[in-house]
Amino acid sequence: MTPIMPDIQLIAIFPESILAIFACALFVMDPFIARDKKEQLGYFSLAGLCVSGVSTLFLWGKSISTFSGMIALDNYALFFKTLFLMISALIILMSIRYIKIERINLGEYYGLILFATIGMMFMPSATDLLSFYLSLELMSMSLYVLAAFMRKDPKSIEGGIKYFLTGVFSSGLILYGVAFLFGATGTTNLGEIAAFLQENGVTSSLSLIMAFVLLITGFGFKISAVPFHMWAPDVYEGSPTPVTAFLSAGSKAAAFSVMLRVFINAFALSSGNWWPVLWVIAVLTMTLGNLVALVQTNMKRLLAYSSIAHAGYLMIGLITASQIGYAAILIYLVGYVFMTLGAFTLIILLCSANMKGDQISDFKGLARTNPMLGLVFIIFALSLIGIPPSAGFVGKLYLFNSAIQGGFYWLAIIGILNSVVSLYYYFRVVQVMYMDEPNAGTVLSFSPTLKVALGITAFLTLFLGLYPEPIIKAAIDSVQIFL
Amino acid sequence: MGTNVYGFPLLSLIAYLPLIGAIILLFMKKEEEKKIMQTAFAVSIVTLAVSLLLIPGFDSTTSEMQFTEQHTWIPSLGVSYAFGIDGISLLLIVMTTIISSIAIVSSYTAINMRIKEYYVSILFLETGMLGVFMSMDFFLFYIFWEVMLVPMYFMIGIWGGGRRLYSAIKFFLYTLFGSLFMLLGILAVYFLNADPQYGSGQYTFSVLELQKMNLPLHPLQFWLFLAFFLGFAIKVPMFPFHTWLPDAHTDAPTAGSVLLAGVLLKMGTYGFVRFCLPMFPEASVYFMPYMAGLSLVGIVYGALVALAQKDIKRLVAYSSVSHLGFVMLGIFALNTHGITGGILQMVNHGVSTGALFLIVGMIYERRHTRLIADFGGLSSKMPIYSAVFAVTMFSSMGLPGLNGFVGEFLILVGAFEANKIYAGIAVIGIILGAAYMLWLFQRMMFGPLDKPENQKILDMNRREIAYMAPLIVFMFWIGLFPRPFIRVMEPAVEKIVQRLKGAGAMAKQESEEKSVEVISKNDKTVIAARIDPEKGMID
Amino acid sequence: MTAQLLFFYFGGMAVAGAVVAVFTPNLVYSALSLLMTFIHIAGIYILLNAEFIAAVQIIVYAGAILVTYVFVLMLFNPEQEKRYFHKQYKIGAFLGAVVLFLMVFAGFKTEILSKGGPFTVEYVEEIGHTRAIGNALFTDFIFPFEIASFILLVAMFGAIILAGRGIKKPKGPGGRVDLSSRRKAKEAIVGER
Repeated sequence: MTPIMPDIQLIAIFPESILAIFACALFVMDPFIARDKKEQLGYFSLAGLCVSGVSTLFLWGKSISTFSGMIALDNYALFFKTLFLMISALIILMSIRYIKIERINLGEYYGLILFATIGMMFMPSATDLLSFYLSLELMSMSLYVLAAFMRKDPKSIEGGIKYFLTGVFSSGLILYGVAFLFGATGTTNLGEIAAFLQENGVTSSLSLIMAFVLLITGFGFKISAVPFHMWAPDVYEGSPTPVTAFLSAGSKAAAFSVMLRVFINAFALSSGNWWPVLWVIAVLTMTLGNLVALVQTNMKRLLAYSSIAHAGYLMIGLITASQIGYAAILIYLVGYVFMTLGAFTLIILLCSANMKGDQISDFKGLARTNPMLGLVFIIFALSLIGIPPSAGFVGKLYLFNSAIQGGFYWLAIIGILNSVVSLYYYFRVVQVMYMDEPNAGTVLSFSPTLKVALGITAFLTLFLGLYPEPIIKAAIDSVQIFL
Repeated sequence: MGTNVYGFPLLSLIAYLPLIGAIILLFMKKEEEKKIMQTAFAVSIVTLAVSLLLIPGFDSTTSEMQFTEQHTWIPSLGVSYAFGIDGISLLLIVMTTIISSIAIVSSYTAINMRIKEYYVSILFLETGMLGVFMSMDFFLFYIFWEVMLVPMYFMIGIWGGGRRLYSAIKFFLYTLFGSLFMLLGILAVYFLNADPQYGSGQYTFSVLELQKMNLPLHPLQFWLFLAFFLGFAIKVPMFPFHTWLPDAHTDAPTAGSVLLAGVLLKMGTYGFVRFCLPMFPEASVYFMPYMAGLSLVGIVYGALVALAQKDIKRLVAYSSVSHLGFVMLGIFALNTHGITGGILQMVNHGVSTGALFLIVGMIYERRHTRLIADFGGLSSKMPIYSAVFAVTMFSSMGLPGLNGFVGEFLILVGAFEANKIYAGIAVIGIILGAAYMLWLFQRMMFGPLDKPENQKILDMNRREIAYMAPLIVFMFWIGLFPRPFIRVMEPAVEKIVQRLKGAGAMAKQESEEKSVEVISKNDKTVIAARIDPEKGMID
Repeated sequence: MTAQLLFFYFGGMAVAGAVVAVFTPNLVYSALSLLMTFIHIAGIYILLNAEFIAAVQIIVYAGAILVTYVFVLMLFNPEQEKRYFHKQYKIGAFLGAVVLFLMVFAGFKTEILSKGGPFTVEYVEEIGHTRAIGNALFTDFIFPFEIASFILLVAMFGAIILAGRGIKKPKGPGGRVDLSSRRKAKEAIVGER
């Protein structure tokens, strides 16, 4: 019997297809480019990201479900796609000089970043358990390789192995959870699962609980929530700094984009009773992340723990499970992405031929030799703590707003106490930059692309704090699909 | 919503002029030190001049917000860019511009490293302070409130002395802690306003809208008041949240202390007057005994500890705690005299304690020590300085004829109307205040000139006389002719008192109804006892 | 009846093979018992009427993947592990037992409320398992199929990058350790603890 082709609308995967074409072309071109001119591939991939970005913007407002319900194209997906494209563009801008200094100037680096982006871009579109899992794997696979990219550096290899093992293990847990979910409901399509649960009202059957536990554990690993965070500091410290930035911003945002779809549809988050578990995890994550960050001396580890804490804040939106909560996650993620990428750009600046540049003591007196850098870091620090006027403040405002409106007062109080604690370690770095004597012989490896990246992140962090309206509207628009 | 006489965004201009000045300074080379200092001073004088334009255009007969500016900013959140002033803010704004200019001038010789960054910080700080007093939208208010913390942190941390890094971060952490709790309060109020039962049914951050809310005392007003209380009480600072103050004041550079004491502390008290009393009148009435109690503790404790200090600056810092205890007592007497006295005393404290810190700064620049024991008999070598010091000291003590007396007198009248015991305890504070100030003056100025280093000490030069003069003038002006200042704030204060009177009756009713059921609860039996004194207040 | 017995046999041998693979110190024994596991899992697939997957299981897992493992083992000739049990085996055993209990409990207590899907036994018997898979894979499941191929592509690139051609050694005074053998790398990592 002849198979019937389902209705496939290729427009839904148009941005990713463009990026895939660019990525494959990049790999083909790579052998023909001279060893010291690989940055051309960097610019080539930037071009690909731009073309893909333009196509994403043109698609805004569409609502398509295709590939037999595996992929959906709606504002929610487009919001995240645009965000991921911007993240990748900034990462490539940051990497061009860095990978030359670290002698990992390979074309495959850019190709892998593009593949990771493709994986990330498919994730918020995924409306089926299989499609999200495979996109997650695509992104993770590329990131495993990127984390271990500095093959000669034992820390990088260690980071890569740790990331690979915990990543694969957590993917296995997610898959096991998916299997339980499929077993309980008989379908892998998220929409059908939601409908099934509503019909049969089985929000607490045992296999569903097992599925929830396994999924929250697996995703917990991905977003480095406590107690699944152990891999994060070592991986962040070991990986090449742009890859760390990519992990911290991109993979976290991607994981959250999937979590929203999966948990809302498959577990009826808004009406269910799942919040106690999430509450405990969120509180532990926020608190441990902030407390351990207090004692760090390595800047990358400090940012790793701070990003663990931010995952905790983001979970507040999951717990409150309301329109405001979901929109808050999206708004906070936008701010978070820019402030984190900006902070990492500063670390990259310090990396030069004779200095790794990731210790806090390397920042000594930086604001006195280079006042612009000091100012820029203050903007990022204020945003990370949540002090206005910054994008981080708007995000936190929304998150705490959602917590109060949902009646989770203690959660809000714990959130603000953690913000106060985080002030201390961020301003310790500010203090080192402003009030200590500068290190002799600190060479800043400025490159034009790095300056552009720094400028964009700093500007957006400040601008979105003063004029967040477009992001807020886009976010609220995007989460309409969950209501 | 309000009137704007000039049809011109005057308030925004006043608020952003220092910021523009700071940006201009950023572009100047850091070696051109004289130019930087002069530009900074010029900017602050221009701001001062523009702020004086507010006075003729101000209508003292209405309690409406004036010079209002309103633009929608973030419609999804209900945030608008709203500036506006009434009598209370007008006084504080003009005081801020004057004190900022004086602070800038006083730093000419005190600061000799990283000059450009210093003046940029001061101007940034000025914008933040002005913005707080003008904001009519909570989001905007919060931005300015927090923005102030960063330049102050830098001023203490870079140009301060002693344990400056510790004091700076302690200041920042402590204040941020309080502000974040206030943020939760703001969000709660924002959320409750959208409930038609309590408010206008819309999501908005506008202060005027939110002041019209109708919240029950328990549990809403109770917790909301406490949330805002935490934020403001740390700023004031009220006992027991005052521990950041001595360190921050002592270790800050002179201009930093002047601005900290002169303006930043007022923001806490301003917050109580502008937000807590109008938005939570029933809670204010309910908490009045506790607030008065804490204020009295602050008055007496601050004075006693000041008496024991060996460092002049620390002594003045603790005297601030004591004086602001007076202000809080006045405000929470919840009557016209008390609140008027409290607000007037805010201005007075800015003037006199600002002057005190400047005086300390002058002596520190000469001798690089602040220990009282290192001085003695200075009046023979520095007659002008002694005179200025004496006037300032008397002003701070509350001698009739000078500004401190008017404020303290009004506060005492208000406190007496509320509860005679409060006034009695407060008087002890005045006596102690006289004690430590006179003793300080005597130890420093009179007595034998036995330290050899003091032999060659120079008297005040022309610049110093120039910047102390305006403060001295104000001390006499407010002391002898306080009418213009009081007239300006009358309508606004009346409006608040009316709201409180209405609330007082309601709160009395509620607590009477509750007194039967709460007698059994330990911590609320005090309410039953308090009903009698509250009768004295509602008349 | 026969099916039950066969299931217990296949399942038991698969688990036994996995246990031996994990516990034995000799790596070649470990690989070969893994082979046993794979083949018996193929047997379970046949019991489920999935003959295509059973065949693919043997071809791909046993034939390709396991052969690659053995190949790598022969090439590198690693040392035998010295210990039978991991240092923290007590905690591991406890947690494993807890998880196992929960899984079994969940498995038995769950009511499967869902109805069956379109691929019933009759349907598969009618058109043959291979054809059924083919139909599904290229119509409804084409998206995961293509993404999986991308994942394999990335894995291939990754393997080549990480283990492949050498990169020029750093010329200047590097701040980082210049490795020349795996043992140095291991020491460096272990030594950092």
